Amino acid sequence: MKKHRLFAAACVAGALALTVAACGSSSSSTSSTGGASSSTTLVGAGSSLVLPLVSKWVPDYAGKTDPPVTVTYGGIGSGGGIDAITNRTVDFGASDAPLSADQASACDNCLQVPWALSATAIAYNVSGVDNGLQLTPQIVADIYLGNITTWDDPAITKLNSGVDLPPTKITPIYRSDGSGDTYALTDLLSKISPDWKSQIGTSTLVKFPVGTGAEHNDGVAAALGQTDGAIAYLGAAYVSTNSLTEAALQNEARNYEEPTVKAISAAADTVKSVPSDNAISITAPPASAKDAYPLSTFTYAIVPQSSPKADALKKFLTYAIDPKGGQTFGPDLLFAPLPAPVLAADKSTIAKIGS
Amino acid sequence: MEGTAASVGMTGVAPPGSGALGRRQRGRLDRIGDRSLYVITLAAALLSAVVLGGIGYEVVHGASASISHFGLGFITTNNWDPVPPHEVYGAASFIYGTAVSSFGALLIATPLSIAIALFLTELAPRRARTPIGTLVELLAAIPSVVLGLWGILVLGPFLRDHVEPGLHSVLGWIPLFGGDQSPVGLLPAMLILTIMTVPIVSSLTREIFLTVPKESKEGALALGATRWEMIKTTVLPYSRPGIVAAVILGLGRAIGEAIAVTQVIGGALGIHANLFVPADTLASRIASNATGAPTALNLASVFYLGVILLALSVIFNAVARLIIRRMTLKGS
Repeated sequence: MKKHRLFAAACVAGALALTVAACGSSSSSTSSTGGASSSTTLVGAGSSLVLPLVSKWVPDYAGKTDPPVTVTYGGIGSGGGIDAITNRTVDFGASDAPLSADQASACDNCLQVPWALSATAIAYNVSGVDNGLQLTPQIVADIYLGNITTWDDPAITKLNSGVDLPPTKITPIYRSDGSGDTYALTDLLSKISPDWKSQIGTSTLVKFPVGTGAEHNDGVAAALGQTDGAIAYLGAAYVSTNSLTEAALQNEARNYEEPTVKAISAAADTVKSVPSDNAISITAPPASAKDAYPLSTFTYAIVPQSSPKADALKKFLTYAIDPKGGQTFGPDLLFAPLPAPVLAADKSTIAKIGS
Repeated sequence: MEGTAASVGMTGVAPPGSGALGRRQRGRLDRIGDRSLYVITLAAALLSAVVLGGIGYEVVHGASASISHFGLGFITTNNWDPVPPHEVYGAASFIYGTAVSSFGALLIATPLSIAIALFLTELAPRRARTPIGTLVELLAAIPSVVLGLWGILVLGPFLRDHVEPGLHSVLGWIPLFGGDQSPVGLLPAMLILTIMTVPIVSSLTREIFLTVPKESKEGALALGATRWEMIKTTVLPYSRPGIVAAVILGLGRAIGEAIAVTQVIGGALGIHANLFVPADTLASRIASNATGAPTALNLASVFYLGVILLALSVIFNAVARLIIRRMTLKGS
């Protein structure tokens, strides 16, 4: 008899607990504060661009710490990373674009640490044109604005005299979800095209007047591979892994550059000072940087200033930006070394964590 | 006494003639059992109502900034520009995309599902019924993200290279089939949704056909009706409200599907009377814009889309109930 009663009570309690849990799900601000394990596990999520790099860091860092610090990282996308750290469901987030004003205020005292340096590539799929197509940022702007609609447009043929360009219609492909690559592209195009700046603007999510949207970098790669005449922008590392063809972009010194570690470094070397929020734009660097790739971009770790795991976060980030530590894995994965002024800014930002 | 109760509780069967005490014990146990059954089932029923209410509240609450900023004009505005200072949001293009892709999907899925269900209940050899029925239902087990991937890698290019040029050359004078061919757009989205709704609609329709009284069918056949006449005069009229309900359930599935549609629809703005061009639906726009919203108004507007989606689902359900009630009244 008691058994019956107990069972029934347990059932009712269980159902009630479910109800309460369902009601109380609105404010998910519970941070993961595990008792003894809190000092040895760091959970992060965000940018898929840095996932290959962080994946190299995790085992290396665990080997260098005693007791080993476990870092887990989910490449759920920059937007998801920002949301996760805003709700404090992770210990750190990662985003390829700096926080917008609204995001920064929602995140409540978050610090952004530029911890890796890479680029966004312009890739294309035009049958018969294998590689080496040269484009200017202005042409890219005109294509995405719908002003240039075929591959044999005089603006393109003039720059590519040796290439036999077909009259194929251009299909611009863009990211339909919020993306750091969209931010980098629109940042560059806003700098060089007044039309772009007034009509479209700079953001992780913009209204493209023409073209086709695709989800995430792999969706863009798939759509690009399927569409003759398509042009797309995506994380530079995705170009080689998906055997896509990338264009060389003209920089301010009128040289054509592809996203290589050297060309990205040349763009980053133009950084002389870092703003207080660490949001650094190195698109369209000045002409003095002769070999610079004009669509290079920093990617950021986003950490709350006050965190129960402040010490562990500090140590991990210090390792990540260390030229002899985490950064040694960069060049193989198309990440360029962080320039000195950025390193210095990172160090003083990391020192603020937990203060 | 404790021991007796426990043993009764364990076996659940009171031995016959175990005396007045045992019977009284049994009655009390039954009452407790009934009461706890009542409480548990009531809690389960309440739970779904509470969850629905909670979701509704959260969605409206999240959308409140956008609702007060744009008002009802949001529904008729065909724009989605997330960049200040020209930041503006509207749902018209997504409502259109949702309507065309879901109704289009059901236009194809309904006759297909009725045919499948008829074949399985009336025409197929008895031995073939179970395997074919299981295969159709297995379609529903394909994860939507896999279906979307197949859509973008296989279905989309196939449609662009083989189906759309044909449709264009024969029916190009209808705006629906005019214009440029593309591997993404409303047509692939519609077909992906068709694949997702057919298993639901066909298995429900099959169950409904199975409830048609054997006597009616045999009566029709005895009067000299052919098999088609029997289906036309007994099976279909008897099942009509059920079929409508099945279709509405399928419609609910189609309207709410996000991931697979996001992958194949091409996430573009605009209301075009053309099935080949990229478009977007409410659910798909919510899925692609839900994380990392660059502005607070952007996030609120995504919630506003959610409010519209929720309202549409409620309206469709209500309409379905009305139709079924009227048809059942007429039928009886």
